[in-house]
Amino acid sequence: MADQQFDSALDLLRRLNPRDTKKNLNAINSIIPELQEDLLSSVDQPLEVRRCPQTNRDYLLCDYNRDGDSYRSPWSNEFDPPLEDGTVPSEKVRKLEVAANEAFDVYRELYYEGGVGSVYFWDLDDGFAGVVLLKKGVTPGSQSSGEWDSIHVFEATDRARSSHYKLTSTVILHLANQSEALGDMDLSGNMTRQIEADLPVEQGDASHIANVGRLVEDMELKMRNLLQEVYFGKAKDVVGELRSLAPLSETNRDRAAQLEMIKSMQK
Amino acid sequence: MSTTIEHVSAFIEGAPPGELADVVADVQALTSEEGDIIPSLAPAFERYNEAQLTTVKLPGSSQEVGISALQPAAAKFTDIAGGYQSQTSFEIDHITQTASAAQSAPLESQNADLIKSLIKSLGIHAREHYPNCSYGVYPTENDSAVAILLVANRYSPNNFWNGRFRAIYQVPVSSSTSINGKIHVDVHYYEDGNVALNTTKPISLSVPSISAESIISRIATAERDYQEELNRAFVAMAEGTFKGLRRQLPITRQKVEWEKVGGYRLGQDISGGKGR
Repeated sequence: MADQQFDSALDLLRRLNPRDTKKNLNAINSIIPELQEDLLSSVDQPLEVRRCPQTNRDYLLCDYNRDGDSYRSPWSNEFDPPLEDGTVPSEKVRKLEVAANEAFDVYRELYYEGGVGSVYFWDLDDGFAGVVLLKKGVTPGSQSSGEWDSIHVFEATDRARSSHYKLTSTVILHLANQSEALGDMDLSGNMTRQIEADLPVEQGDASHIANVGRLVEDMELKMRNLLQEVYFGKAKDVVGELRSLAPLSETNRDRAAQLEMIKSMQK
Repeated sequence: MSTTIEHVSAFIEGAPPGELADVVADVQALTSEEGDIIPSLAPAFERYNEAQLTTVKLPGSSQEVGISALQPAAAKFTDIAGGYQSQTSFEIDHITQTASAAQSAPLESQNADLIKSLIKSLGIHAREHYPNCSYGVYPTENDSAVAILLVANRYSPNNFWNGRFRAIYQVPVSSSTSINGKIHVDVHYYEDGNVALNTTKPISLSVPSISAESIISRIATAERDYQEELNRAFVAMAEGTFKGLRRQLPITRQKVEWEKVGGYRLGQDISGGKGR
């Protein structure tokens, strides 16, 4: 029953307005509190930003850097509010996490030219896992806004001289526009993709950073193209299916004439 | 229980075009421990049907008729597809979206002539621009105004998309020569994700005279202008906001050289500090 309810909750959140995911998640949690933990770790929501008190740098909050009500900053490795015994990665994995944060900071500047990023790693029995988070918001006009949230969760499992990587990526993209002529337009949502790859790890930890970096970079390029196609191609096409700008009698006449021409050419 | 009803009522009312049955199935699974909650959600179903201009088939007929809050209370549910041409009233079960007790209901309005001409002109306009739509014209506001309604649905669940276009106008016949209304466009795309387009465009028009032709002509122009504006907005969002969020490639047109960034710089350690 609980499994079926979990699936129904996910199906519902996939159908209802993606702008309202947080509100709807809270509503489901109030109906079935037992689902809360599983839903929070399965449903991606726009990332929240917090400032690290130690380094004065912004970082992103998610389920993976949370312990109770505190969040761990990737810059200081400290929890806020402070925790005596908060869960932190092993020394080896933390070292890798620091390097990954530096690398993805460069990546963020190159692709996002701003925004906020955070990388969190944790230990696995036979490797490690992590999440790469990127967030940027823009308000190009007073009445238009856009927000991009990338959430890349991966596992790296040790193999002989190589590692098996499994990456699940979600991009949440919210766009809104308002004007006298347009009224209100909201184009919001999220898309998820997965990929698995075996990649060589000949340079130790440096290879891990480069492997994860390339996987995320390729995935974001693919997803950016996909989002562009769905948001500005597919959505616009469906509007055209609902309402035809050209009079249908003309369109039908043109189509009939075209068919007639094809027929006559086949004779 | 009462907060549960409040929450799931919002789910029902928020169902995307063509997906009410799926949302209802999810709600039933989520509330299975509380017994059958659906009957208590009747008000939410009614609000959904009226706001979304739901269409239903008349019993024993293939004719689609529509539901809206703007229809006259006396003949609450009159057909929308043929306007008043078939002049039928019916009862509706909002939960199952089925019609029953259809009977003849002649149009009684001081604006009967205008309504009949509007239905005719609206029909010509609708057939020219909406491949699949229902429409209707009704007396409203105690017969002091006329409501013009149009809904166009396209459902393609096999391809994971559904869409709805709604236009709702009111013409206050006696007082002025103005038309007020709203156009809503809702599109849902849900393959490997959940993407929604939701728009609302308030419409305010003035007509030279209260005649069916001038009213429908102004409405047709407003709808065309709006669709063109919406198409421009898609392009502007893609070229502006979207590009401003994330570049397709870095300004150098080169992908990141991962060996050279971050704390571990391959080559740098070996070659003694060269690198980036």
